[in-house]
Amino acid sequence: MVSKLIFKDHKYNLLTILAICIFAIALIIFLGSRSNEEVQNIVQEQFNEQQLLLARQSTDGIEEFLNQKTTIIEILANEISDKPPDEVVTSFVNVYNETTDIHVIEFVNESGIVTLGYPEKNSPLGYDIYENNQEGAFERARDNKETYISSPIFLLEGGMGVFIWTPVYRADEFKGVVLVIIRISDISERFLKSCESPHEIYMIDRRGTILYDSSNRYLWGRNYLEKLGDESPYLQQILHHQMNGSEGTGYYLEMNGSEKKLIAYSPIHWRNQLWSVAVTSPVSEVDTMINSVFVKQGVFIGVSGIFLLLSSFSIILLLTRWNKSLELEVASKTSEITKSNELLKRANKKLMELDKLKSDFVSMVSHELKTPLTPMKTSAEFLLQDDPDPETRREMLELIVRNIDRQTRMVNDMLDISRIESGNMRFRKELLDIVEIINSAIETMRKQSEEKKININTDIPPGLTKINADKDKLIQVFVNLLSNALKFTPNGGNVEIKAFESGKYIEVYVKDDGIGIPPDKINKIFNKFYQIDNTYARPYSGSGLGLAITKSIMEGHGGTIRVESTLGEGSVFILAFLK
Amino acid sequence: MNPDEIDQKIINIIKKDPEMPYSRIAELLQISEEEVKEKLEMLSDTRQMILIVDDELDTLIPLKMALEAEDYLVIEASSGMEAIEKTRSNHPDLILLDLMMPGMDGFEVCNVLKDDTLTGNIPIIMLTAKGEIDDKIEGIETGADDYVTKPFDLGELKARIKMILRRTGV
Repeated sequence: MVSKLIFKDHKYNLLTILAICIFAIALIIFLGSRSNEEVQNIVQEQFNEQQLLLARQSTDGIEEFLNQKTTIIEILANEISDKPPDEVVTSFVNVYNETTDIHVIEFVNESGIVTLGYPEKNSPLGYDIYENNQEGAFERARDNKETYISSPIFLLEGGMGVFIWTPVYRADEFKGVVLVIIRISDISERFLKSCESPHEIYMIDRRGTILYDSSNRYLWGRNYLEKLGDESPYLQQILHHQMNGSEGTGYYLEMNGSEKKLIAYSPIHWRNQLWSVAVTSPVSEVDTMINSVFVKQGVFIGVSGIFLLLSSFSIILLLTRWNKSLELEVASKTSEITKSNELLKRANKKLMELDKLKSDFVSMVSHELKTPLTPMKTSAEFLLQDDPDPETRREMLELIVRNIDRQTRMVNDMLDISRIESGNMRFRKELLDIVEIINSAIETMRKQSEEKKININTDIPPGLTKINADKDKLIQVFVNLLSNALKFTPNGGNVEIKAFESGKYIEVYVKDDGIGIPPDKINKIFNKFYQIDNTYARPYSGSGLGLAITKSIMEGHGGTIRVESTLGEGSVFILAFLK
Repeated sequence: MNPDEIDQKIINIIKKDPEMPYSRIAELLQISEEEVKEKLEMLSDTRQMILIVDDELDTLIPLKMALEAEDYLVIEASSGMEAIEKTRSNHPDLILLDLMMPGMDGFEVCNVLKDDTLTGNIPIIMLTAKGEIDDKIEGIETGADDYVTKPFDLGELKARIKMILRRTGV
């Protein structure tokens, strides 16, 4: 039922399925783009988080490193307060060797002169900070009695360094300051280099001084804000955030305006110092990630779309083929049924024809059997009742005998045909001279031929090969043929019998110049029960069995009989006997 | 020429000249002398005339003899066409009509005769070898006056003929 509905119109179905396909694909694209937005946001967030973590990791490392160093220095300062100078140097050496990345450890005495230092090559022994106007940090440490860290500056020996001033007190007596210098490059080397690529990292201090810049775009030690001037307001804002010690992320456009960048920044709180590390990465990187996600999604959508299209097309194709094969099967079955119906019809028609033939035959037979009875009965009753004169009486009796003969012939024909039908006709075969047979048949028919003044001519060569046949039956064949010939030939006509040898047969022609046989009936005259036409043949009435009997006898002898005829000119019956 | 007209003309000629020889009459009417003789015999015959129609000569002969012995004038026809012709020319008082005949069968002959006002009043007895009910019904519907099945009883046939002739008042 459903398949019927679906397949009424192939084009319509194709369009429907296509529409469903397109709708499905559109839905996928819509959902995909919706989820893409979310994905984009998530990726962005993740990326920002990741960058921030990166920055924080660096700052945590640096912070811990610097605080640790500071603590060690403070312990050292406490230790050396009551030690003689040579022991102080030993302590310095120990600390220097045990910890890493300390550029130099110096001791500045209470009057601001560098008296000790390790390693010595980095120690400007005898250097007077008062003379060089660098006493600010020294005095702050001394006055506050706590470690003070001065902002990073350029070192005499090159590069930037940070100075850690830790005061040394014995009780309340100020002894001097332990000054440790750590090179910024050592810090950056340890903590920032490792996470540079593919990002850019810079580090500034509270003033905006560039302590480190992996891009090397700006000179270290320069002020970033001053460097920027009026450009990159976003970046300036970010720098201010950084200088305030905030943590977070932000975007800015490169100075030439071409590329959008993400900055994740995190502060380093180290005693009185505040630094900030920023990890910069192009936003395009996020886009690249998102794009790769998009590409994957696109591939998925494309593949699933193609799969949908292909599968629906193949389903259509499959169903169409299935339908076609079904149609073909139905058509072939229908034609089979039609054929068998046709056969049945034909068989039925034939049966009906046979039935009609049979009932025609029955009515014919009953008529033929009754016909002789009427004159017999009338004549007999007339003889009984009226006692006519001798001549009439004789005529009546002859009439009765004639009709008895006629009925006898009829009954014999009937018996013959019933034997033929049941296959019980028996032949007593013997070697026969065909001339004798023909002559005795002519003798039998002499009376009829003389009555109609018909000449029966024979043309039979002497010494014909004898044939093996049943004598009585063969005479019957010729009597039948002659009787027909005489019946259908007008008075004074001719009947001719010719015989000759032809190959392994002896052929006999029985020719008359009678009324002939219509061409459309010639194939039926040997049929049982067949008379050409009731009305047409009635002047020559017979049982309609003679030729059927004749044909059966011929075939029983292995011979054949056929007829050639021209309407109005006569007929030739051609018999062929096997030698 | 219409057979009735010929009869009428022969009568007219004889009225004018009773002594005219047959040959002269035949010449005047352009028919054979035999026919003239036959016509005159028929015209002078006062017996009741029966036409027997059958294609079987053997059936005709004894019936004709039997009926002639009963003092009927019997004429014969062996086909439907001949039967119609003879009915029109001789106006028989009764027709014994065989049903099964080649060409025109008994039913057709009966139809033609009954449809004609000149012959429609002539009684017809159908004779047939078929004893079937259907034939009987059709025979009566086409206007046959009686129906006799072959082989018939001669005495019965004679009685029926007599009865019908009396009924029609010939």
